[in-house]
Amino acid sequence: MRASRIWGRALRYAVLLAVLVITVGPFLWQLSTSLKGRTEDIYTFPPRLLPRQPTLGNYKGVADIIPVWDYALNSLTVAVTNVVTNLVGASLAGYALARLRFRGRRAAALAFVLALLVPLESVVVAQFTLMRQLDLNNTLIAVVLPGCVGAMNVLLMRNAFGQLPYETEEAAVIDGANVWQRFVRIALPSVKGTLAVVAIFSFMGSWDDFLWPLIVLSDSSKFTLTVGLNYLHGTFSNNQRLVAAGTIIAVAPLIAMFACLQRYFFRGVGEGAVKG
Amino acid sequence: MPISRGTLPRKAVGAAVPVVLAALTLTACGGGGGGTSADGKVAGDISFQTWNLRANYKDYFNGLIAQFEKEYPDVRVKWIDQPADHYADKLSADAAGGTMPDVVNVSPDLAYPLARAGVLTNLDKEPASAKYRGEYTPEAWQANEMPGLNGGYAFPWYLNTGPLFYNKALFAQAGLDPDRPPKTYDELFADADAMARHSGGKVATLAATPAIEDFGRYGVRLMNADASEFTYNEPKGVELLNRYKQLYTSGGLDSTALTNGPEESGQKFLEQKVAMNPGSAHDLSNFKENAPTLYKNLGITDAPNNTGHPNMYVMGLGISSTSRHKAAAIAFAHFVTDKRNQESFAHKVAIFPSTKGSLDEPYWTRDDGTDEGRVRVAAARMLKGAVNYTPVVMSDEMKTVLQNQVALALQGKKSPKQALDDAVAQSDRLLKQS
Repeated sequence: MRASRIWGRALRYAVLLAVLVITVGPFLWQLSTSLKGRTEDIYTFPPRLLPRQPTLGNYKGVADIIPVWDYALNSLTVAVTNVVTNLVGASLAGYALARLRFRGRRAAALAFVLALLVPLESVVVAQFTLMRQLDLNNTLIAVVLPGCVGAMNVLLMRNAFGQLPYETEEAAVIDGANVWQRFVRIALPSVKGTLAVVAIFSFMGSWDDFLWPLIVLSDSSKFTLTVGLNYLHGTFSNNQRLVAAGTIIAVAPLIAMFACLQRYFFRGVGEGAVKG
Repeated sequence: MPISRGTLPRKAVGAAVPVVLAALTLTACGGGGGGTSADGKVAGDISFQTWNLRANYKDYFNGLIAQFEKEYPDVRVKWIDQPADHYADKLSADAAGGTMPDVVNVSPDLAYPLARAGVLTNLDKEPASAKYRGEYTPEAWQANEMPGLNGGYAFPWYLNTGPLFYNKALFAQAGLDPDRPPKTYDELFADADAMARHSGGKVATLAATPAIEDFGRYGVRLMNADASEFTYNEPKGVELLNRYKQLYTSGGLDSTALTNGPEESGQKFLEQKVAMNPGSAHDLSNFKENAPTLYKNLGITDAPNNTGHPNMYVMGLGISSTSRHKAAAIAFAHFVTDKRNQESFAHKVAIFPSTKGSLDEPYWTRDDGTDEGRVRVAAARMLKGAVNYTPVVMSDEMKTVLQNQVALALQGKKSPKQALDDAVAQSDRLLKQS
């Protein structure tokens, strides 16, 4: 009995460790490559994780080739705007879909689901011509606009609001609260977790987006970080150490963001999941 | 990674095909018209788009533009540079939106859909540009001629080709003479066999399955005369695939070759698990930087061919057909690709000029004793008479069709003959749809 329990636990840890290696391994590999000196072999077999001559020179190299801080600022502008518009837009729309009674409510919810099915690649040219007609191409506004209220986020918020007990809101109605007051004072504070999820998703989504900013921006001074970092894949030679350093620069803010919000994040994931 | 300009789009374009097609239908209705006379005054603001050259050659291009603006004070050139990935998507969006830069960096396979949609100028039809034709090597100009569209659609710019790199240490371990690399296909396949036997199948000689260029170099006729049907399933093509199949069975072809792209096979070579890999002169710096031990044992030889014509990749500069200052655009594109400027660019980076007579200069004929010099001279020698084997009408989808059928044949699920017949049939169908 006891022995089998120990074995079970050992197995569980072994599986967890294996998953950890699979998910974290590539990242550590990038980190180690970015710190390797110029005279080291990168592709050795078996791979060597600890750099022999650790250096920060590659990070400096990235900044020499591209204006990495300008790009990071552009990315940050886009990502933060995207988070704000998504939080505001998705929670308003989600609340309306979950709580307000109006004609066509189901159809509206269905429209959001259908919007999820459209892949970006298939509409990217149409979006681009639209932006051009609005004279917005080559601006950061055009980068934000198509994703400013994500259908996925609206559905997440709708589910989160839908889960709140009606009784609390009914009590508020009796106390004389109107819709806005119920939304701001009662509903919003109860779905902080899902708000964190939406914030993280929309931040990640716009921070990682490549194709759309590439297509809509033509002036390289307006590029976002993911597009700009692509310059590191040199045409004639590829320095893996620089690419790795660029990757770490791009990923670091995501890790910081997640670390700050993770308390809410896990609560939020549970919140939405109970009533899928 | 040994990405040469020619192999790069294979990875980058993959997802782009539907977008390109969508863009084409859009431009087909909306396009046409616009644009100014090419014979007018060389004046106005033009934009110049390169493909991923800014990071390392910013000073060269800024210098070039300053020089041009000094010669033609009425022209202002705005330089745009696009990152490596998804370049085809960017071009097709610009084609659809009518925002195509006046002078645009294209390879023949990127130029073909744009030329068909009428977004690029036919340089042979414009007297202002046709007069420069004689300045380039005929092979380079022909590489930008689009089948069925009567003319060249881009000024030839830089060329690239490459020798075959091999790992001397692995050759010596297998009991082969490291100073006598294989020169013909027979020797290549024999050495690969020996290598596989000595290492017990652990060390392969090649890391990639044959692509369309390999069929071309082997002497297979790839398409019929008017580029309307593929013909690489002829007996010669089947023969090449048969030899590769034997190689795969004996372990002379890397076991992951079926899924290896150019990047992966390059990496296998860097890891010293594969003894030979085609590359180009700029791979040297890659070896030096990323695999110093391999660099010490690096051997260089010519890639074998049965036709007397090695393979090359071509880059060009196209002119937007809706450009508002076409005369200035043509003047600038010619300026960038003229003999003097191509040669000075080729001194900065390991590429080769496409202007007539350039490769007879001492820089490309005399070995200065360095490894770079050796590769440069060897590659320049190969470039004389080199052709771009890859048919411009062959889309990435068709390349994937070939790759998949080759994989089936190597696995033994289909006979090589059947696999190539199927690949040709599917590609022909795709060709008719487009």
